[in-house]
Amino acid sequence: MTGAASGRAERLREAIHHAAHLLPAQGPIGVFVHHNTLHAFQHLPFEEAVVKAASIFGSQPFLAEAAYRRELQRGRIVEEDIAAILAGGEPLTIWEEGGLTRRALRHEVLLRGLRPIDPCSIEWNLRDGNWLRTFRRDLSDSAKSSLAGDLPRKLWAGIETKLEVFKPASPASERVRKEGIEAAHDIIHPVLIRLAAAFLDQGIAYWPMPLRETGLWKAALAILDQSACFMPAGLEGFRNIVHEFRQVPGSHEDRIMGLLDRLGVQEESWGIFLQRELLALPGWAGLIHRLEEEPALAPHVRLPFSLREYLALRLLLLLGATRNLSSRSGESDIEFSREVVDRQGYCDTALIFEVAQLCGLSTGRIEAMPSAVFLAFVAEVRAIDELERRWLLHLAYERRHERQILLPLAKYRAVAMSRGAASSSRLAAQVIFCIDEREESIRRHLEEVDPDIETLGAAGFFGVAVDYTGIDDARGAALCPVVVKPQNQVVEKAIGDHTGLQSRRRALRKLWARMFRQNYVASRTLVRGWLSTATLGFLSLFPLTFRLLNPLACARISAWLNAAFLPVPRTELTFERADEEGRIAAGGLLQGFSLEEKVNCVASILKPAGLHRDIARLVVVLGHGSTSLNNPFESAYDCGACGGRHGGPNARLFSAMANHPKVREGLLARGIVIPADTWFLGGYHDTCSDEIKLFDLELLPEGHRADVNRVRESLDEARARSAHERTRRFEAASPQLTFQQALRHVQERSEHLGEPRPEYGHCTNAVCIVGRRSTTRGLFLDRRSFLVSYDATKDPTDEGLSRVLGAVTPVCAGINLEYYFSSVDNERYGCGTKLPHNITGLVGVMNGFQSDLRTGLPLQTVEIHEPVRILFVVESTPIRVLSTMRANPQLHEFLHNRWIRLAALDPFSGEIHVYRDGVFEVLQVDDSPLPEAPSSLAWYGGKSEHLPLARIHAGGITNAA
Amino acid sequence: MDIGLNGQILVGLVIAPALLFLALAVFWLLGWKGQEKIVCALTGFLFLGLTLGTGVLAFRMVRHRLPSVSVDLGNWFAIGDYGFPLRLTVDRLSLPMVGLTVVLVGLVGKFSTLYLHRDPGHLRFFLLIQLYAFGSLLLFTAGSIDLLMAGWELVGITSVLLIGFFSYRREPVLNAIRVFATYRLADICILVAVFLAHHWYGSGLWSALITGEWPMQKSAVGGPELNILGVLLVLAACGKSSQGPFFGWLPRAMEGPTPSSAIFYGAISVHAGAYLVLRIEPLLESAPVARYVLMAIGISTAVVATLIHRTCTDVKTGLSYASMTQLAVIFTEVSLGWTMVAMLHIAGHVAVRTAQFLRAPSMLHEYRQLHAASGGQIGETGEHYEALVPHKLQLWLYGLGLDRGHYDAIVDRLVIAPMVCLSAVLNRIEPTWMGGSSPAKASKSEAEEVAGDLVTENSHDAPV
Repeated sequence: MTGAASGRAERLREAIHHAAHLLPAQGPIGVFVHHNTLHAFQHLPFEEAVVKAASIFGSQPFLAEAAYRRELQRGRIVEEDIAAILAGGEPLTIWEEGGLTRRALRHEVLLRGLRPIDPCSIEWNLRDGNWLRTFRRDLSDSAKSSLAGDLPRKLWAGIETKLEVFKPASPASERVRKEGIEAAHDIIHPVLIRLAAAFLDQGIAYWPMPLRETGLWKAALAILDQSACFMPAGLEGFRNIVHEFRQVPGSHEDRIMGLLDRLGVQEESWGIFLQRELLALPGWAGLIHRLEEEPALAPHVRLPFSLREYLALRLLLLLGATRNLSSRSGESDIEFSREVVDRQGYCDTALIFEVAQLCGLSTGRIEAMPSAVFLAFVAEVRAIDELERRWLLHLAYERRHERQILLPLAKYRAVAMSRGAASSSRLAAQVIFCIDEREESIRRHLEEVDPDIETLGAAGFFGVAVDYTGIDDARGAALCPVVVKPQNQVVEKAIGDHTGLQSRRRALRKLWARMFRQNYVASRTLVRGWLSTATLGFLSLFPLTFRLLNPLACARISAWLNAAFLPVPRTELTFERADEEGRIAAGGLLQGFSLEEKVNCVASILKPAGLHRDIARLVVVLGHGSTSLNNPFESAYDCGACGGRHGGPNARLFSAMANHPKVREGLLARGIVIPADTWFLGGYHDTCSDEIKLFDLELLPEGHRADVNRVRESLDEARARSAHERTRRFEAASPQLTFQQALRHVQERSEHLGEPRPEYGHCTNAVCIVGRRSTTRGLFLDRRSFLVSYDATKDPTDEGLSRVLGAVTPVCAGINLEYYFSSVDNERYGCGTKLPHNITGLVGVMNGFQSDLRTGLPLQTVEIHEPVRILFVVESTPIRVLSTMRANPQLHEFLHNRWIRLAALDPFSGEIHVYRDGVFEVLQVDDSPLPEAPSSLAWYGGKSEHLPLARIHAGGITNAA
Repeated sequence: MDIGLNGQILVGLVIAPALLFLALAVFWLLGWKGQEKIVCALTGFLFLGLTLGTGVLAFRMVRHRLPSVSVDLGNWFAIGDYGFPLRLTVDRLSLPMVGLTVVLVGLVGKFSTLYLHRDPGHLRFFLLIQLYAFGSLLLFTAGSIDLLMAGWELVGITSVLLIGFFSYRREPVLNAIRVFATYRLADICILVAVFLAHHWYGSGLWSALITGEWPMQKSAVGGPELNILGVLLVLAACGKSSQGPFFGWLPRAMEGPTPSSAIFYGAISVHAGAYLVLRIEPLLESAPVARYVLMAIGISTAVVATLIHRTCTDVKTGLSYASMTQLAVIFTEVSLGWTMVAMLHIAGHVAVRTAQFLRAPSMLHEYRQLHAASGGQIGETGEHYEALVPHKLQLWLYGLGLDRGHYDAIVDRLVIAPMVCLSAVLNRIEPTWMGGSSPAKASKSEAEEVAGDLVTENSHDAPV
């Protein structure tokens, strides 16, 4: 190969690599993992990245300006925030005599806003509207007084003379014409979507794509290269091209280069061209790219996925389409032309006119302005363009949020300190939940119901990264954060005399599967469909009616049927590994855990949480997940720390390990003392239906029965109350529900076929508090805060902090940023409304019958989200926090580039230090009182909006450990 | 006018949805926001009432051994010999259709109460559902082909408006227009059929064309011209049921919200065509050509649609071709004269398909369960006809299926392209016919005038 050729190949590789980097990183939708939508831009500062991405994807970087203005109107942003945001920048005098500064100008513009100025309405506003009749009414007092006696017409004229750029509006004709390449996309997309979907299909099509095991390129060309075949309009004669390229040997890169040459794309524009081509259908290209990187993500069928093959196919189709278009152009291309009048001149004047009013610059003062000053003024006005205004308003919006969180936290902390030491009696129980912000309410209610219970938070895989196969699973699944590759395998097995039950269960389930499959296929094909629909089809009306009219009763009956015919055997987890070398199970995994590994797992949770003293008689560990029907996004509600799956097995496994006498010995050697009478119990919490299931109750020592009963009762009360708190957000739930009715309401949501919002997921996430429960116990956090248990006083080396932050920051920031982007631009970053979604190939959803694969979150999931960057509050000294974060490159990137916000809560003094651009500032606490309420219900009752923090007396800090 | 209790129930059944639609629409136009609770409660009451009414009517018909109930409400209008009689009839053929309509539209309404919750188009959706219920009830109870056409059109327009429900996106609107155009083309057939029926037989009443009670009906007219009428009506039915020459539009209809896909394309709307061919089946007895056309359409569509279905990789497209397959079988059954079988097939198919469409978003969940329960092996499919033919033919068949029978290609290239050419030619020669100035130029100078006017006015207005 000559140097030039290899240089070309290198350049192509680079171009593809760069473009592929911009594609969405979402895998098949069955396992939904939250991640930063703009992961590809994470090396840039946040505000730069969002704007750059917006120009590439044609998306929105922030909320619309009107949305921020609404927040200003309802007091979610206040004047103080705007002043504070601007106080950071230079005051910069524009006009000394006039007392005009950049800060004052921006203050007025941000606070009062500009009336919409656009070429479409400007004419009307000037002639028929009242812009030239009166000044704005919402001006500041000083502006009003300096404009008193002046006339808008005079001011307008004064500005116009000064501007001297007034051009008489002249009619100009604008040609609206579809760009050639877009017309070609319209032709090739239907074909390409069908081919890609057929290739990626994981089992929906009755007849899988022939030859697909040889790759997309070969299979697609074999199908397209047929003699008696009617090509779609715009691709006439395409078969010749297909036939020609089928014969060409060589790699896909050679093919792509050949196609680029044929398309007449110059080498220097390969990058931009390929980027545009791949981003024309980002969902499909992204999925192929993702599967190429990680074929194991494909749920059922693994194939030679290759983005290069997709790209080659795409360019081939494009060649076919452009060839026809260019041969036809000038002949039947439809051109529209419409008359537009250029009113840009008016708009310029209007902008200055608006700002002059806001700043109280009367005609006289404008005229008195030296030209240089006037030019500077105009430059200032233009500098605060729409994007700048939105960014500054966003900062103000986030600042208010920060104040709403940090001030009460500091005040509450002061109250807690003044209360002095905690009571010395031993706790009744400790319950470890996932850090998930959705667990905040049940934790608070549990402590309200039973003040002798303490709750803790740890990432929901509980340190047990495992490849787990349940009794009903066909194969193992990784239950740990996606960045971790599990090394150990655990299999759930029926025990002793229950093995017979299990084999019967398996046989019955196989039978059911065969019947279901038969029925599924039968109703859709010709002959079997005829027999089944014409005979028994009518009967399917009755279960449907029942399900729609009474989903809960239907669920109860199917549960009863399951219990009657498919009883669940008692099981155990095979996690012991005696020999230290270990047996390697299939797939390179270690069978079970060695003693050393078990001790590590347990210590990784107990140590940073500060649980290694004061351990109660009973410790309940609750994993979580979510169950809903008719919801392609079900997995998005599951535990993110378990890789978008249910975390029950992790909790069960963790408890079994912690109960192990040998493990306790090992922990003792590391200074973690677990009292002999302490028992760990695993469980599972469904965040949608608020069910709680406890595992392995049979193994419970007799003496702990009473403890478990007490906790069980408290959990039952707490989940009902938590469900009640959740219903305040649901518009469809009556505010008068009792706790039990609320529980039924959320259960119905999880069982209802027509429910597009079974739960609100992480919709309210905004904060992550890493610290002792005593800093937050008894504080109403409105389900908006991830709560990570960490005790800095027991972690002198910061080793625990480093581990905790390293694990939770990417998870929390990923969730938060995915919600941010899906909220600010639901059509581009999110996947739009759920209502027309159509599952394709078991890998994703489309709109309607053929569209791009939609990635991101649906509208129904983000509708009540406040898009703010997550605020981390770490209970440690600023220096320790900063050095820990800087030591980890990933965390440093998040922090340094402002993708997250950070504050440190000093565990000793209680002061809060806010991180801003590399330095910590001490938060000045004002003296407004911290709101108080006797109970959570008293605080949230009857309200549906986001609520400020409040001190809740029941279950409060007096009993905190 | 004394129409008896049965007649009153029947009239009430048909016009109740129309009245609710009108009332809500008027309030909407007056600025009412359409609170979800009120809209849903009213719709719920409506369909509960309709279901009860249908039940009572059915009960009375069975008890009094009435094969049919008819109500004459006089003429809508009459000009000379021609009258547009408003006659509603319900017999043993239309009663099951009425029953299915009220029950299924009610169920889908119940489903949508939550599904459409908080959607900006909530009220619009429910209004369209009510109008649609009126249209289909009118269609099924129409005593004449004229009145049937009124219902037929209402069903068509509501269907199109729901396909384009998300009108802020490009694709739903394009697809809605495409479906609309297909409907219009097919509806020309029914319009001509109405005209011919009046021309040849002097009436559009079913009772004038067909005698006896379903299912023992006979044609009251005959002659070779009946074949023309039959073929036209069969073609019209093809348009609604996505059969024969109009078979390709159904997947395009999947752009709307899931429940509207269920009720239109799983349930009632696509079966309106099947109802029409069942209704005219006695005529086909005396119109052999039309009968063979129907048979040919049914058999060919069944074969092609089932082939396409096998290659569909998304849930809703798969379901629409599966629907199309069974509808083609129903058409074939009617052409063979198996009316009872066809009736049962319609009832069963409607129920199955509605349930499947409503559960379409569950596909992932169900497959995961299925996969686990069967021990990691989902039964292999695609081993039947596909595997029997030679490899080369397999590829060809697969390509045919994947390109949806080349339907869009054929329509685009053989129907739309010539039409565009024709209109371009006409556009070019029109000015010469009109004599002198081209219309495009005229409008342009007018626009310039207006723009100029604005400018001058403004320069007066601008402060000096």
